[in-house]
Amino acid sequence: MNRTRNSIEVEGVSVVYPNGQQALSDASFRLEDGTICALVGVNGSGKSTLFKSIMGFVNPAAGRVRINGMPVRESLKKHLVAYVPQSEDVDWHFPVSVWDVVMMGRYGAMNFMRIPRTEDELLVKKSLERVSMWDFRDRQIGELSGGQKKRVFLARALAQGGQIILLDEPFTGVDVNTEEAIIGLLHELRKSGAIILVSTHNLGSVPEFCDQVVLINRTVLAYGPTAEVFTAQNLAAAFGGVLREFQFERSTIQSHDGRAVTVLSDDERPLVFGKDGHLEYLDRENHEELLRKRREEHE
Amino acid sequence: MSDLLQSLAVPFQYDYMIRAIWVSTLVGGVCGFLSPFVTLKGWSLMGDALSHAVVPGVAIAYILGFPFALGAFIAALLAAGAMALIRAQSRIREDATIGIVFTSFFALGLVLISLSPSGGVNLKTILYGNILAIADSDILQVVCISAAAILVVGFRWRDLMLYCFDANQARTLGLKVGVLHFTLLALLAAVCVAALQAVGAILVLAMLITPGATANLLTNRFGTMIWLSASISLASSLVGAYLSYYIDGATGGCIVTLQTLVFLAAFVFSPQHGLLASRRAIRACSGVLGEINQPRMNGHEL
Repeated sequence: MNRTRNSIEVEGVSVVYPNGQQALSDASFRLEDGTICALVGVNGSGKSTLFKSIMGFVNPAAGRVRINGMPVRESLKKHLVAYVPQSEDVDWHFPVSVWDVVMMGRYGAMNFMRIPRTEDELLVKKSLERVSMWDFRDRQIGELSGGQKKRVFLARALAQGGQIILLDEPFTGVDVNTEEAIIGLLHELRKSGAIILVSTHNLGSVPEFCDQVVLINRTVLAYGPTAEVFTAQNLAAAFGGVLREFQFERSTIQSHDGRAVTVLSDDERPLVFGKDGHLEYLDRENHEELLRKRREEHE
Repeated sequence: MSDLLQSLAVPFQYDYMIRAIWVSTLVGGVCGFLSPFVTLKGWSLMGDALSHAVVPGVAIAYILGFPFALGAFIAALLAAGAMALIRAQSRIREDATIGIVFTSFFALGLVLISLSPSGGVNLKTILYGNILAIADSDILQVVCISAAAILVVGFRWRDLMLYCFDANQARTLGLKVGVLHFTLLALLAAVCVAALQAVGAILVLAMLITPGATANLLTNRFGTMIWLSASISLASSLVGAYLSYYIDGATGGCIVTLQTLVFLAAFVFSPQHGLLASRRAIRACSGVLGEINQPRMNGHEL
């Protein structure tokens, strides 16, 4: 099979808004075929600006973005970039059905009047079935639950056939089952060679489903495999004092009493979820023991 | 019986009434066609602004002797451009920007009209419309604008819908969002100009919003919404203009009042989104909750 290898190259990108605000300076990273990458940073760190420059909505003052070796504009004409918006950015009262929304993914490939061909209808059907939303096709989009809405927009990205898929905060307002279903689908897409870039400020699930991380705070602080990027130093640079406010929902290690533990924190002490759902630090003894266990696992 | 029929046919004995009825109907249909886009894009205030901003254009067109529609159209586009410029280059909020621009244009229009030689431009005609005395040249302009608007919306409605719903998706598909934005703006300005003749500058906004809002209460599909909106608007304009003869009322006022009545009916009786339907839904919901709660309560008691 002769498929183009997908890639995103961001080289020295700086973005300055008309009001003089410098949103990004000298940001660089590179992603290759078949990967799930988290774009992690606090609010206002430039995540959405970086998304916008990859989608060609803002022109960098310096630097360049290339998608599969092409300038962004050219890649958009080939419908390579698909986008799953944040829930807050969608007008849920808009009179469109689930079917209509997914069909919007096909507009780029249709004729002047955007009249769907059989091929388009088949693709929409397949995409809806893939996210288990076929039975909901005639529903108005606002009638769905948070997780169902996300799946519909993911189906739109599938129908579009995008090779670079950008997801903006995909897990906010989504139940655990849907989160797992979405992650499963992302894994399938990765296998087919797609590059999936997930913007999030929730670190909890990142190590579990992402291969790589781009850590951002007005510039790219670090990027690469999750284990290498998620160091105390990097996280402190990205999150500063606010890190403790983040909740880590999934475990990477089981503690001796069976509670979920992760060692991601700004001072390398393991955090656990207490019974009431609040975070608490494990004591020093357990901490040493867990770190040792983790090192052994890695070796 | 034949007397009744005869009296019902009276308006059609007058040439000016026949013209008023069919021109109003055409304008109504076109406004209804565009209305879903205006209401769903959140451009209601913009429509209001443009309909007032056309006044200086009309005045200048009459003074200089070129087609009023052209003057009005240029004035509307200038106003839209001024709003976009102030919005992009200053910290002033959108509502204030719209307010400043349209009142400035309107004020300029008033000055121009007061300066123009008497009999040239009639302020009352601009504000309230004068469909009964519409000139042949004006009818031609309305017909041209309507044909253009119907063609553009007819061919491009799906792209315009995508632009209203999710401009970012339109961009990532490589559609020219700037062109879509301008197309919608130009359509809005053009239709404002056409509706000016039928109902006047003050009521143009109603023609552009009410049918779309009514249709939005009646359907969950955008395609259906366009046809519903256009039909409601067309029918109210036809009946409104016809009725205005009998009650000897202002044509624009009759049309808009009828549209409002249809809106109110939809607001109350719409099967899915009406007041009565939501009441029923709440009652059904509390009924179900009651049934769920009942056994649990019994369980506790046991």
